[in-house]
Amino acid sequence: MKRISLVLFALVIAAGVVTAQDSEQKFQIHGFATQGFLYSSANNYLSAKTSDGSPRWSDAAISFGSSLSDKLRIGVQLHFEQLGELGGQHVGIDWASGDFKVNDKLGFRAGKVKTVYGLFNDSQDVDSVHLWSLLPEPFYAPDNKSFNLSHWGGDVYGTLNLGRKLGKLSYTAFGGERSLDLNGGYMMQLTNFGIPFTTAPSGEVFGGDLRWRTPAKGLVLGSSIASTNVEGTSPAGAININKSVSPVFYAKYEKGKFFAGGEYKRFPYSGTLTVGTFPVPQSYDQHSWYVMTSYRVTPKMSLGTYYTQAEDRASDTSHVGNYFKDWTVSSRYDFNQYFYAKAEGHFIDGRGLGFYGTNNDSRTNLMALKVGFVF
Amino acid sequence: MKNTLMLLFLFCVAMISSASAQTIVANPGVKSAEISKADLRDIFSGSSSTFKDGSHAVPVTLKAGSVHDEFLKTYVGKTDAGYRAAWRMLVFTGQGSMPKTVDSDAQVIEYVASTPGAIGYVSKAAVSEKVKTLIVR
Repeated sequence: MKRISLVLFALVIAAGVVTAQDSEQKFQIHGFATQGFLYSSANNYLSAKTSDGSPRWSDAAISFGSSLSDKLRIGVQLHFEQLGELGGQHVGIDWASGDFKVNDKLGFRAGKVKTVYGLFNDSQDVDSVHLWSLLPEPFYAPDNKSFNLSHWGGDVYGTLNLGRKLGKLSYTAFGGERSLDLNGGYMMQLTNFGIPFTTAPSGEVFGGDLRWRTPAKGLVLGSSIASTNVEGTSPAGAININKSVSPVFYAKYEKGKFFAGGEYKRFPYSGTLTVGTFPVPQSYDQHSWYVMTSYRVTPKMSLGTYYTQAEDRASDTSHVGNYFKDWTVSSRYDFNQYFYAKAEGHFIDGRGLGFYGTNNDSRTNLMALKVGFVF
Repeated sequence: MKNTLMLLFLFCVAMISSASAQTIVANPGVKSAEISKADLRDIFSGSSSTFKDGSHAVPVTLKAGSVHDEFLKTYVGKTDAGYRAAWRMLVFTGQGSMPKTVDSDAQVIEYVASTPGAIGYVSKAAVSEKVKTLIVR
């Protein structure tokens, strides 16, 4: 009920706001709402009963921002999401920050800020800006979105002009703390493991991003790195993930209607899960990559495809639970600048990511449909 | 020979300038008389908020139409949908605010004339003395 209320609230408020914000740029309200449907040929994906067809896939956000001066901006974004058994029943803070931009070369953000990491980490929850309904799972896991999305702390950022022959270099350095989502996928896995948490495990995160806008128009090359740890205790046990460093390298090329991009990431960690008083050592070493391309066929219609692959090299990579491969084809139709619809097909091999509970097949064909509204 | 080359050069300049369907206009307080294509792209894609001299830039765009589409294609390198998506990405990640958007050339002129640091584009016929015309390098 809360879910429907929030979606309706976003839609109703939009009608009044669309014109209101044009007349006063100092204060802006924006938002979006989406409703999706997932159907799979086999297995249940992302905790939803997708093999029966599941409409439990909604999200909505509303963002308030104000420019207090040419250099100072403040804002907050509230976000609701329900995906299968994950999320739902509460509205979280996506980001809430103050942003002081001294000039193009130097700026500061503080509060709860989105984590700039890889091509789409900070925008992975903004459905309306992507062709894809589901971004590549090894990089942008929809079942663990909120943990990776933002951190409490701050950023130092800026862009340096390297001259006409060398292009521009943007940098972001970030640091702070972040928590696992009590309603997210990691928590569901821990609960299934016999360690339900009532207080979210958390840890520090530090890192940075460098992206080079090369002299070749439309070509961006970049790399990000993040160091993080997680600790938490519950009456039934504890989790302790040691500090681990995860690098990502990426490239994108955009020219008019054409887009191509790709990323490579390594995500290693080690630690201990304690079930009761019994410690269970954990080690994981995910190597993943994807390539994607898209084209705007008409002003309203876009088509695209991507292939992604991930494997846990700390385990037997031939085991179906230790790898994940997904070939995706996607389409999007924009009815106007506010309403759109998406249809997407996923051809998944392996159950290394995104599968919970008992699933018997190694292959999953998934159809994802979505309608969205943004203002 | 020299005169012929000069005429040829002037002809080429005239052709290039007439090929552009829009004129870049700025608030009269903006110091510079010219702007590079790269700076225009940066300001209208949200990756820069200043002019080359360091003063604050305030972009204003038309909501739709051929002048708008041509401007985006020529100077920002995006379609209208791509342009909106890029700005929405900044807004919903907390990294920017949507630029002012208006319905007509007259409103662009009015906004640019009255807003310090404002920069926009209008069709050639709509250029007014109230605003400064910037040459694109």
